[in-house]
Amino acid sequence: MKARVLVDASDIDRFAPHTHPLWWGILGAVAIEAAVVATLLTSYFYLAAQNPAWPPEGVAPPDLFWPTVVLVLLPLSSFTMWWAGKGSDRGDQRQLSIGVTASVTLAVLALVARSFQIAEFDASWNDHAYGSILWVITGFHYTHVVSAVSGTAVVAVLAWRGYFTPERQLGVVVDTVYWYFVAGVFLPIYLVLYIAPRLL
Amino acid sequence: MTAVGIETSGHDPALEPSSYGHEAAVGREAFERIERTWRSPAGFVGWFTQVNHSAIGLRFIVTAFVFFILSGLLGLAMRLQLAMPLNEMLSPEAYNQIMTVHGTAMMFLFAIPAMEGVAIYVAPLMVGARDMAFPRLNAFGYYVYLIGGSAFFLSLALGMAPDAGWFNYVPLANKTFSEGYGVDIWTTMITFIELSALTAAVELIVTIMKLRAPGMSLDRMPIFVWAVLVMSFMILFAMPSVMVASAFLMMDRLVDTQFFIVENGGSPLLWQHLFWFFGHPEVYIILVPALGIVTSIVVTFSGRPLFGYTALVLAITGIGMVSFGLWVHHMYTTGLPFMGRSFFMAASSMIAIPSGVQVYCWIATLWGGKVRFATPMLWVLAFFGVFIAGGLTGVMVASVPFDRQVHDSYFVVAHFHYVLMGGAVFPLMGAIYYWFPKATGRMLSERLGIGSCLTVFVGFNITFFPMHILGLQGMPRRVYTYVDGLGWGNMNLLATFGAFLLALGFALTLFNVVRSLRHGAVAPDNPWGGSTLEWATASPPLNCNFIQQPVVESRRPMWDWREAGSRTVVAGLSEDRRETMVTTLLDARPQSVMVLPGPTPWPFVSAVAASFGFIGLIFSPWFFPIGFFAVFATMVFWFWPRHPWRKK
Repeated sequence: MKARVLVDASDIDRFAPHTHPLWWGILGAVAIEAAVVATLLTSYFYLAAQNPAWPPEGVAPPDLFWPTVVLVLLPLSSFTMWWAGKGSDRGDQRQLSIGVTASVTLAVLALVARSFQIAEFDASWNDHAYGSILWVITGFHYTHVVSAVSGTAVVAVLAWRGYFTPERQLGVVVDTVYWYFVAGVFLPIYLVLYIAPRLL
Repeated sequence: MTAVGIETSGHDPALEPSSYGHEAAVGREAFERIERTWRSPAGFVGWFTQVNHSAIGLRFIVTAFVFFILSGLLGLAMRLQLAMPLNEMLSPEAYNQIMTVHGTAMMFLFAIPAMEGVAIYVAPLMVGARDMAFPRLNAFGYYVYLIGGSAFFLSLALGMAPDAGWFNYVPLANKTFSEGYGVDIWTTMITFIELSALTAAVELIVTIMKLRAPGMSLDRMPIFVWAVLVMSFMILFAMPSVMVASAFLMMDRLVDTQFFIVENGGSPLLWQHLFWFFGHPEVYIILVPALGIVTSIVVTFSGRPLFGYTALVLAITGIGMVSFGLWVHHMYTTGLPFMGRSFFMAASSMIAIPSGVQVYCWIATLWGGKVRFATPMLWVLAFFGVFIAGGLTGVMVASVPFDRQVHDSYFVVAHFHYVLMGGAVFPLMGAIYYWFPKATGRMLSERLGIGSCLTVFVGFNITFFPMHILGLQGMPRRVYTYVDGLGWGNMNLLATFGAFLLALGFALTLFNVVRSLRHGAVAPDNPWGGSTLEWATASPPLNCNFIQQPVVESRRPMWDWREAGSRTVVAGLSEDRRETMVTTLLDARPQSVMVLPGPTPWPFVSAVAASFGFIGLIFSPWFFPIGFFAVFATMVFWFWPRHPWRKK
């Protein structure tokens, strides 16, 4: 059977980091994680509705200082990620390397702040459902920051070794999308875990 | 849409080019080079490095059917136990384990993975892609499923299987009432296996959205591909719910969190909400791709274009959406507010509307065509009968007053076997008969197929129809036996007889498959005269799927090409790299070219590391950090940049 050629792919771009299918794949991962967060927060309110007092009698809502520090640090680290990506788009390897390294550092500081905050929790995970959901949501987010930090640390190593070029920066682009999510999802968590108990 | 474009025509193999000249199209030398680029390594070690979607899809299907046979045998054991009153063949403990494993495995280890397998195998071919978007992730998902599923079944052999029913209700599943490791195995392995469903879902979504052949705009996508897309989105939003639920239960049992402990502020109903928010869409997750299979078969065997393409797409999407608003109809007897129950009763009844639209589209398509009653079509006809009967009892149990009467009785058992087997297994069997020639290059025997289909249909109805009556007479589900004198004995005996007939029917297909692999007639590229692109490649498919990627100009490229006498293709893809076209989301205009990775062992190593972590979690929480960093380490090797090619 004869073939008519309608599309010639010889000169079509092989390096298109901003429309690459992996970018969509990361969006898929973000959608899954967002569904998990939504389920966790819904469970929080469901349990709250089932209990006469929330937090239970004699338990204070978590202190606001450390979480607010995290709430500042994480968007700041997203900004440095964005700045690093700008550099990468221009082929400025130095800006890229400095940017991702700054992000990793800021996120590690956020992890330290988060650890202080966990140490201050008035409720343990094993004496009331309030403590359980508080610890699980916190632990879930903590784990995500750890995984974003670990992944981005590898990106930073590669950046300092000069691996990324404007064509070959897919790794930076998708890592940044995931980073935005991990930083951004702290806002609803903050509102639910720290502000809601004071308002309800 | 125009339904008059192509005259009604029966399939005439003489008109079908027996081969599209795959080798002649590009010349022998180029053909061999491309095929070498896309080849999967052979041998035992090679097996662990394969990433091509056709290899992975086939593995999903074969593994799912092995679990189907095993779980089916468990079903037979239950039927034997219930054949007569006060039977002592199985102890109550053994019965509970067998019942739980049967239900859980049929849902999580058979139905979902089998549908995913068919989707992974067929969908990339149908959209004209050379492989899926993330081949290594695909392989990872398969190993996770294989290891998780095997560990789950192994627990039965070791006598430590879960025994709290497939939906594992607390407080029964709490540490207090379920000691031992059974429920822990359920929670960890289900969470783990769902990981594989999620990877498959993301993979399918991106492949369908971005890797369609040039010209295949969304409104030219085959209905099966639409169905797979809807299924994948449903997995994306439903599975997290069951993962959260089982993670809560896992922690309640492992580190004494209090999610489901009433004395300390927990709520057993939270489990039911989370479980059914997944559990109800789950039923539609396995039904929706089946609807796609049915549509493919109906179009091919009526030999005319689909009636009501847009209506069908809307119906399938509608089913997907409405299915997220029904979960509470599993909980009518839990004392929910009247208002809530009324809402969910209305929503449950509403699902009958899109379902009805589909059935009428199929009828209208068949109406004007010369229907060929080959085996795939027979399974579809059996599907119509069984699924519509199940749908009718579905409308009955959607109603609150009726449901409260039959809740937890055998009526429900009958209902869900009619919808699940009718809605998923019959279409799946049709899919096997339909695509077996494509996957293996051999035809299945029609005579054995007809025998199998009839035996399964009769056996199925003898097994499950009496259960409606048993349920109305008050027989509760999940009992390991019943006393004499209730008048249930004869009907149970009949059901047991039917179950063996049903098993015989499936055995006939198994025999057919094994025999045809060696002795079946050689299959041409397009044995049924199908209109979609999976028939454009060789049987079995080439390593690269398409030696020249196709360009699509309508909903039925194969029929266009047959009329025009020529194909429309893409040129200029590399022969030495794994390249496939990336196109725009809506119109499928060429956008870029994706270079896909080749064979690699890292997905397997990663899956082993993840399994180590998850299986360890049954015993100690410390395996969480250990597994986390083990998987991370393997992922670094997985994604570590290599330099196999550079920009010219």
